[in-house]
Parts: sequence; C-alpha cells; structure tokens
Amino acid sequence: MTTADRFRDYSIDADIFDEMFHVDGRTRDNWQGLRRALTDISSEELTAIQERVTRSFSNEGITFTVYGDEEADERIIPIDCVPRLIAEAEWRELEAGLTQRLRALNLFLQDVYGESQVTKDGVIPDEMVLSCPQYRLEMRGFTPPHGTWVAICGTDLVRTNEGFRVLEDNLRVPSGVSYMIANRKAAKTSLRRLYRASRVLEVEHYGRLLLDTLKELAPTERGNPSIALLTPGVYNSAFYEHMFLAHELGAELVQGQDLVVNEGFVYMKTTAGLRRVDVVYRRVDDDFLDPTVFRPDSVLGVPGLMDAYLKGNVALANAPGTGVADDKSIYTYVPDLIRYYLGEEPSLQNVETYLCRRPQELEYVLDNLDELVVKRVGESGGYGMLIGPHATSQERSEYAEQVRSNPADFIAQPTLALSRSPCLIDGKFEPRHVDLRPFILHGQTTRIVPGAFCRVALRRGSLVVNSSQGGGGKDVWVLEE
Amino acid sequence: MLARSAQGLYWMGRYLERADHLSRLLQLQAEALVDRSTGEIYSGWRRIYGSLDREPPGGGLELEPSHDGAAPQFQQTRAPSGQAQTQRRISDEYTLADSFTLADDLTFERANPSSLWSCFALGRENARQMRHCISAEMWRSLNLTYLKLQRIRMLDIWLASPEGFYAETAEDIETFMGVASATMYRDEGWHFMQLGRFLERSQLASSLLLAQLEVDKDPNEQADSEHTESDWTTLLRIYHAQEAYARTHGVEIRPDQVLDLLVTDPLLPDSMQRAVDAVSDAVAAVGPGPDRESSAAANRLAGRLRSLVSYEWPDAEDKPRLLLRIADLSRQLHSLVNAVYFDY
Repeated sequence: MTTADRFRDYSIDADIFDEMFHVDGRTRDNWQGLRRALTDISSEELTAIQERVTRSFSNEGITFTVYGDEEADERIIPIDCVPRLIAEAEWRELEAGLTQRLRALNLFLQDVYGESQVTKDGVIPDEMVLSCPQYRLEMRGFTPPHGTWVAICGTDLVRTNEGFRVLEDNLRVPSGVSYMIANRKAAKTSLRRLYRASRVLEVEHYGRLLLDTLKELAPTERGNPSIALLTPGVYNSAFYEHMFLAHELGAELVQGQDLVVNEGFVYMKTTAGLRRVDVVYRRVDDDFLDPTVFRPDSVLGVPGLMDAYLKGNVALANAPGTGVADDKSIYTYVPDLIRYYLGEEPSLQNVETYLCRRPQELEYVLDNLDELVVKRVGESGGYGMLIGPHATSQERSEYAEQVRSNPADFIAQPTLALSRSPCLIDGKFEPRHVDLRPFILHGQTTRIVPGAFCRVALRRGSLVVNSSQGGGGKDVWVLEE
Repeated sequence: MLARSAQGLYWMGRYLERADHLSRLLQLQAEALVDRSTGEIYSGWRRIYGSLDREPPGGGLELEPSHDGAAPQFQQTRAPSGQAQTQRRISDEYTLADSFTLADDLTFERANPSSLWSCFALGRENARQMRHCISAEMWRSLNLTYLKLQRIRMLDIWLASPEGFYAETAEDIETFMGVASATMYRDEGWHFMQLGRFLERSQLASSLLLAQLEVDKDPNEQADSEHTESDWTTLLRIYHAQEAYARTHGVEIRPDQVLDLLVTDPLLPDSMQRAVDAVSDAVAAVGPGPDRESSAAANRLAGRLRSLVSYEWPDAEDKPRLLLRIADLSRQLHSLVNAVYFDY
C-alpha cells in the first residue's frame, strides 16, 4: 500500500484547521519531509512502530492512575506515533505570547495581593477578585522572591482557522510535562532516521531549566539550596510525573509526613536526622498545603509550612493563591491586564468568552445555548459543563435554570473547532482533534523549552482530549529553520 | 537520604528476597509432584507453609492414619498389591487436586499476603514509589516481570510445566538482583536494600531449616531415611549448594553436613554466613542515624548475629535452638533498624 493510499480517505474540513494540509489538500511546507518519510515506510513497519511505542510506555511504567471501585489501576496514556510539527518561526511567536502573558499574570498577582491598583483603576471589578475562592487572604502583603508567583505554568492552547487561542492558563499545579519528554523519547527511538533528518529542537533539558528556576527562588543566603518535590502520594494520578521530575531535579520526593517545621524552618526526615529544605516544588493544591492555615482535615500537608513560607525561610513553587489568576471569569480580562501592566497589545488571543454576570451577555448565552459551551467558574477538568450542541433540549433547559439562578457562576464560549492532526488509526492516517500545552518557567527570567504536551482526542469526532476519557498524546516537533 | 525512601528500598529488598525464596521452594515442590510419594508431597507442603508461618487454605495438612491405626496412608501407596494400587490412584488424584489448590494459594492468590504474587507485587510497588532512587534498568527489569506475571493464571502453568514457571520467575528475580548490582549507585539506598534482602534471607533460611529439623523429628516420618535424604537434597538445591556439597562431602547426604554447609560455608553465595555478613556490612555502611547510641546498638546487634553463625555454630550442640536465636536476633534487628532510621 502506498502512502497516497493511506491518505486517500483522509478528510479535510474547511471549517477545521488541519495541521498537515491546506484546505485544497496540498501538504503544508513544514510537513513535506514527514510526508516523504511516510512514503518510505511500509504499512507493516508503521504498525510495528506504533506497537513499539505503546509497549515502551507500558514497559517503562509511564502510567497515570485511574480509580475504579476496587483498586487503583495503572494505565498508560495512548501515544500516537505521528508527531505534530510546528515551524520554528511560528513557535517563536507563541513563545513571545506566552512570555508576555505570564509576565502580566505575575504582575497581576503581585498587585491583587498588594495595593490592588488594578481594581482601583477599574480594569477589573474588585468583587470579582475578592469573591474568587482561590483568592487567599493569607497572601496579602506578601512578595515572593523576584515577584514570581507563578514559576511553572502550563498553558492550554488550541488552534482554529483564526490562529492559536489560549483556552486556559494553568497556574496552580499544571501537569503533563513528563509526557512531553516521554513522548519525545519514544518518538526518537521509533522514528530515528526521520528525527535526525528533521532537525527538531530539543526539549529534554526541561529538568535542568526547572532546576535553575527553582534555585532562583531559594532564600538568598542559602548557597546550594536543597529542593524537595512535595507529592500528595502514590495515589495521585500524576504520581509518575512527580517521581520523574524529582529524579530529573535530583530532588527528594517527599510527602507531607516527611516534612516538619521547627521554629519557622522546614526540614525533611532523612536517615541521618532532619535536614533543612529551601525550596518546595509542591504538587499539592493550596487547600492541602498546611492544615493549620487551609483545610484542617488535610493529611497531605505540613503544619507550619505557611508560617515558614511567609517568613521567607522556604520558597514554594508555585506560590499559594495563584488560582485567582486562572479563574475562568478573570481569564476574560487577561488581554486587558496585558495592556494595563505592560502597555502592549496581547500577542496571543483568548477564546471569545461571555460572562453571564453581565446581563446582556447572559441573555445572549441563554438564547444560544445550543451553540455554546457553558462552564462553571469554580470547576475544572470538564466538570459541571454543558456542551450545547451535544445536549438534549431538556438538559439545556435544566442548565439554563441553574445559570439564571446564579449567573455570576457561569461563563460561555463558542464550541471550538479544535485543529486536527494526522494520527495512525488501524494502519491508516486519520485526522484527530488536538490541543497543545507548552510549559513556561519563570524564576528570575523566563525559560521555555520548544515543545509541548499535545493531547489528542483519539475517538473519531471527539473533542475531548482528557486522558481519563479516551484522550491520548503525541510528540510535538518544533522544526529548526 | 529521605527516611521513607530508605524504608521503601529496605522493603523492596525484603519482599523480592521472599518472592525469590518462595519461587525456588515451589519449583522443587512442583518437581516433587512428578515422582515422589504422596507422603513426601504433603510433607513438602507442610514445610513450605511452616516456614511461612501460615495455615494452608482449608486447615491442616495432617494425613489421616489408615484404618488399622498404625501407619499413615502414604506408606500404603507404595505397596504393590491391587488394593493399594486403587488406593494410590485415588489418593494421587486427591494429592494433585490438593496440590493445585495449595500451589495456587502460594503463587497467585491476591488475598494471601505471603503468595509469590503478593510478595513480588509489593516489592515492585515499593520500587515504583522509589523509582527515582533506583536505576532505570532495575525498574525496567522489575516492571517487565510484573507485567508478565500479571497475565498468568495457575491453570496456564499447571498442566504444562509449573516447575518451569517457578524456575523462570526465580531467574527473573535473580536477574533483577544482578541488574541492581551492575547498575545501582552504592549509596545509602543500596545499603538499605541489601539490609532488607539479607535480613529477610537469614530469617527465611532459619525458619526453613528449623521446619526441616522438625519434620525429621516427627516419628511418623523418621523411619523413612530415603525420604529424609531427598528432603535434604531439596534444601541443597534451594540454596544452590548441590555441587558444593558433592565436592566437599561426596554423594552421601548427611543432614548434619548439609546443615553445616548451608549455615557456615563462606563461599556459598546463599549461605547463612554470607547473609549475616551482608547484614552487618550494610548496617555499618548506612552510618549513624539521628541518634548515635541507637545506631551503635544496631551495629552491635548485627555483630552478635554474625558471631552466632561464625563462632557459636560450629560448637553448638543444640542447632535448632541456635536457629531460633538467629531468627529472633534478625527480628530484633529489623525492629531496631525501623526505630533508628525510619520511624524516629
């Protein structure tokens, strides 16, 4: 079977951006090499490559945890062997947009926990900030090292015919970076010659950049800071990533029970006694960090950790309270925040969003429920959401009731036509919807590796890329020019 | 090193040693099913359960005495008469059916914490949680075996070659140990893993040898010297000592010589001597814990364990008592190590 055959049934839809093909069916310039390489590979070889990649994940135990009724199940995220390609010039634009956005968000956080000039100037309503459950009063008046509130950010981007759009800023404990690296390793071993010929920019030094970033946040008097990665434990679905990153950083992987606070300093329990910790890369949510300050029933946290933090004796990445900046309603203001703090036009656009708290927009949302995706402000991970076009009219009218009774809790967005990229499905290439999560690091300066975790909705027609719901991943190659 | 990580590696060592030991026991027991008498087969199961300190499913494994009340049933199975032939067939079927249940309980039973599966899975789970503390090669080797075991059920191995399965599993674990020794950084984690592994071994070996000495004392079995000989040959094989024994003592199997070899031979990789030496070296290598006095106590305890084997064994009259002391000291050392390094 020739490659032409394998792409014969590949469908192109003018309304959906295709990563590989123009609307008229021509291959995009930066995909030519891949296209040619696929001509040289037989069907059997391709299937073998796909199997090898999948097996390598299961052999290496690159898993996430899913909870059923009985016991925790270790599953692999299915990986598709066809990489998604991005031209370097395009990437540099994204990079600039992401950097700009994170700069503004860090300034915003410093502001709302300080003088809150932004609300005084009427850029954003005061009560919207204060009523956000992620706004932490404990952080008021605090300045983290270098004003860095968000040191690790994973921004969800989607691409439509209009270009890249930011769907969500993940500013709390973003995950997925280990899959970016795992996908790269798998792609490198399975597509060896193509990889070499393609001149792909490297991503595997992410761990080193993360280490540099975390070190910049350490209390200044500490020469060689000791770093610990705080995990909720092996039952967390991202445990593999925590372990992976601890290994990359050469950091200890600690749980709450391993840390103690003595007179405002944080120590970990080692076999030789207590040893001071200077930086905690925490993968535990704010709520569970410190039972004396946040949720008292938390057993994942460390009593006294916040006290040590506010005294400047330990750094936390990310800082507590960053969730106020990735709240779904505050999200709509990010372009304004960029203009306000940086005096620049945002280079990355948001997805068009309607705030139901505004009467006019509420009316529009209720009139167009069948075309919109409506989300609860406080929820994440796809919960409490209405996908209008896929809902029954009864579901829509029930949801409309909820929206009407508490409009401020809801936002709405048009149903997005996520771009599609070719995937190997049963020996043939078929388009599947994809998103893109690059990771932005910021200590004293911003660091970004040229790559991302690309999530794929492997079910035909599906727009859901979440790994718990049939989503998979693929490698992203930023091609040097 | 983080106390919890050290503890994880310690338990990884313990569980994998236990799984390895159990596979070797089961391998030889599976071989016994081919050509040994029902009596030997049952005494084999009793010895395994005895050394695990566990009741078999459905209670004890005592054979019913025959109707005249004199000799136990297994002796009848050797009689050549037609009556006994029938008896033998029936009791063979029972024995094999029982053996299937027992082997399954000891191999794949998820609910049995001492089963091969449970021990291996717990060892692998500790490794999974402490993956950043071991080499990538170690993790991979362990995970591959885990994925393989996960797919196998008792019926898959029973009719073809259960002994082949056990031999392969033991080999997989030993390969893992080889990979560990070739690739793991010799940091504290390594020493804690070694400590767990060899402390487990000294405990397992002392209970298994004790269990055999008890079987030998049993008046019902004492009469059969051929049976005793094959039991001790089995022990030699479990500890990879058959060639070493033959070289030193020739072909005649004498229980006291076997016992001495298994306990004291410094050249035998699986000897008790080497296990307690490794324990004491590991305790010395991990260095002082937060409390110096308790660390010194752990070192002294390890030294006592070592000297029991090196200096007291050769002259001791009452070997079972000494084996009990070895088991007891090993347990004490386990508690002390936990208190000094992990749960302070």
